[in-house]
Amino acid sequence: MAKQLGFYIDVSRCIQCRTCEVACKVTRHVEPGIKWRKVVETCAGEFPHITRSFFSKSCMHCAQPACVAACPTGAIRKRTEDGIVVVDREKCNGCRECLSACPFDVPKFGADGTMQKCDFCIESGEVPACVAPCPAEALHYGTMEDGPPLTTNKLAVKLGGPTSPSVIILRHPPVIGDDFSASMPLPDDTGVHSR
Amino acid sequence: MGLGEAGEATEKKIPTFCSLCGPTMGCGLICHVKDGRLVRIEGMKEAPRNKGKLCPKAFASMQWVYSPQRLKYPLKRVGEKGEGQFERITWNEALDIIAAKLTELKQKWGPESLAILSPQRRSYSDYLYRFLIAHGSPNYGHSGICAMQRAFGFAYTLGTPWTNPDYERARLIVIWGANPVYSGAPWGNLKRILDARDRGVKLVVIKPQMQADAAKADLWVPIRPGADGALALAMLNVIIGEHLYDTDFVSRWCYGFDKLVDHIERYTPEWAEPVTGLPASQIREVTRLYGTIKPACILAGNAFDQTVASSNAVRAVAILMAITGNFNRPGGNTVRPESTMPKVKSVHLRERYTQEWIDKLVGPEMARGFQPWIEGTSSAYYRCLDSVLTEKPYPIRAIIAPGTQPTVITRGTKRVVEALKKLDFFVVVDVMETSSMPWADVVVPVATMYECDHPFEAMDNWIMARNKVIEPLGDYKSDYEFWLELGVKMGYGEDFWNGSIERCMNYQLENFGMTMEELRAHPTGIFYKPKPMAYENYAQVFATPSTRLSGAPYLPQGKVAIYNTTFEENGFNPLPEWVEPPESPTGTPELLAKYPLCFFDTHTSDVYNHGWCRNIPTLREIQPYPWIHSHPETARVRGIEDGDWVIVESPHGWIKVKALCTPGIPPDVVMGLHGWWQGCDELALPGYPILDGGANTNILYSTHPERAFDPVVTAMPKQTLVEVRKA
Repeated sequence: MAKQLGFYIDVSRCIQCRTCEVACKVTRHVEPGIKWRKVVETCAGEFPHITRSFFSKSCMHCAQPACVAACPTGAIRKRTEDGIVVVDREKCNGCRECLSACPFDVPKFGADGTMQKCDFCIESGEVPACVAPCPAEALHYGTMEDGPPLTTNKLAVKLGGPTSPSVIILRHPPVIGDDFSASMPLPDDTGVHSR
Repeated sequence: MGLGEAGEATEKKIPTFCSLCGPTMGCGLICHVKDGRLVRIEGMKEAPRNKGKLCPKAFASMQWVYSPQRLKYPLKRVGEKGEGQFERITWNEALDIIAAKLTELKQKWGPESLAILSPQRRSYSDYLYRFLIAHGSPNYGHSGICAMQRAFGFAYTLGTPWTNPDYERARLIVIWGANPVYSGAPWGNLKRILDARDRGVKLVVIKPQMQADAAKADLWVPIRPGADGALALAMLNVIIGEHLYDTDFVSRWCYGFDKLVDHIERYTPEWAEPVTGLPASQIREVTRLYGTIKPACILAGNAFDQTVASSNAVRAVAILMAITGNFNRPGGNTVRPESTMPKVKSVHLRERYTQEWIDKLVGPEMARGFQPWIEGTSSAYYRCLDSVLTEKPYPIRAIIAPGTQPTVITRGTKRVVEALKKLDFFVVVDVMETSSMPWADVVVPVATMYECDHPFEAMDNWIMARNKVIEPLGDYKSDYEFWLELGVKMGYGEDFWNGSIERCMNYQLENFGMTMEELRAHPTGIFYKPKPMAYENYAQVFATPSTRLSGAPYLPQGKVAIYNTTFEENGFNPLPEWVEPPESPTGTPELLAKYPLCFFDTHTSDVYNHGWCRNIPTLREIQPYPWIHSHPETARVRGIEDGDWVIVESPHGWIKVKALCTPGIPPDVVMGLHGWWQGCDELALPGYPILDGGANTNILYSTHPERAFDPVVTAMPKQTLVEVRKA
């Protein structure tokens, strides 16, 4: 397979402005009640010592997508040319096996009952609609093999787990003795490893 | 595919601007149009303001333009005021009715009986001024709670209304009562602050709630709403007491420092602790950070415009910038250089101002001795409406409200509704059905930014013509055309290019040596080189002429006005002092038994902007219901669970909203969002009443004539005390 496309999300910059969320919905004409991308939040601590962190979540276009394996009709497939996971809504029978299989609660079902989700805007041939307008420059995309350009003060970690999500998270490294950055939670720390 | 060219799938890309927020020029957009319909929006990479970035509101404007809640044609009221019964009329009839009534009232009561209420600063704002001046009224009703208040305090202390934070060179950034995420996220401030943070620059955020920007801070200072002035005074106390000031700058460029030294003694951190809700130790900590990490810049926000302590608080912050040596130095708060771009010829007619004009103001926004201010002469929005009831010094008889809703945007909604009932004549000009419409005599539907081919917009070093993206979806004209055509109907045709928008545009472009059509030939506009920054040019900055008719400088001594002789001459305190909100724990402790919680609101959110945008499905599903944010413990002791409907009651009124619990807010503070009234037809989500029992935060606040106004700059407060109970 060619290189795997995915998202790079800089959680040290994501500021919950929701531009990505709304850009996705409006550009792709996603129906009310359905979101292909959503900014999720982790909040911890007691007043006034609070940490809040934000993570822009969509389909992770996993290397071993559980949804593809679970789909009984072959409606979901992983493209060989870029690793993007796409769904053929004509073939989908709305059984929701993919939703049960997905560890990230990604598959969505609207009025027509078939599965819908982020497809990396591959049809447009352009940058995913959520990436270009991000005013915080927190959301990027590229290949998992190349990874984001690294700066000395950022840590890049690829999200782990059995499905191997195609998402790399950028964050400030914890500073020894700094409670704030050391306790900065990640959306899913399980299986995260340094690159 | 080139701009403006037809593509393969008959899709065209048309460059234009967003107008979903103010002030002035919006973000550059590339609009994709297919079969006459707007199908996609992108940020314009060439636009220096947003460089391809956008915000949720800009994207949602694609649904806004096609909203079923848009006005479709001009309307005339047929029922009683407040009933909302209208019949369709033509544009010509609408203009005839308005012109006849304004002429009648002018003859009977004088031209000053007309007020035009100001929307957020817009590229059509100066057209409102032009109409008022041609008509003969000084009563431009400016909000009294936005930007102009800050600009005023800075100008009369530092000689410049704008103190731009130099994020690129700062080693410490203070965000104070501002929100660069909710306001203008694509404009670059947010990116520059995050870039600075990536470089290891320290970030301090001072605001009552831990909003997302505060989540990125090294230090969050959870100040009590409205107490920013008290904190600034206590910071001055520490800076002076601990000798953290720049002795050379103070002796060379400050006037009246000695008097401040004595005056500030009373404002210790211990004094400020109960007022601000902050431990004295934290006040010292934040002051030492600001006083020792050089250079440091402050982004001061809208919190400073909406407190009775406004003119004092802004002056105190300005003095902090000055005496710490952070004013107009690299990395501090700087004065932006002028542009190499030619000057646009203004449509404002300020050259016609006289003292008599200022004397006629019905309720000055800035005290009379400081008029006209930057935008022109202004009466306070609320005072225009209040005069209808008090008839002091005379009653306003006719109001035109373009793009603004008196029923949800200013304080004291109960009195506002009484005023709208009593008015002789009320005209609403808007793109959407509004909460004020039921009281209107005539409703004028105007085009959105996508439905007209003017104006051009000019800002900093960039000028670009607006292009029409889609054909108007109803019987619309632009805001600009409305004022030109009304001017002609009123007999002011000579001042209004006899109704020709083309001549009007070309007049403004004369200094560029080109016409609107020639400008339009540059699809993404024309760029000019910025002038280099001129740091430390104090002699020049401190001699800046003021906007008053005399043109006398802001700073009579040519130095930072720590002791402000101009304020003194106008009967105000020459040194900044603390003024309590109309209701607060330390100002009115007797109210705490019944109303134990501090309430305030925010005027924008990630998805909403003042009183509009709730009808846009993609935004409304993010925030479907009106809310307060409350500490979980505050809710728990009242038997309230996260998401419950609650009643929030102040001494002045009550609202019903949902309680959303977050630990990032002091337990004695609850925060709401202003501007709730509108329903969303497409999601079948309701609107809310504007009076008691609705969700309009403005009914909670005091409008006490003495205690709810900063005497210099209006600045009606958004702080009160409330109790919250389960609905």
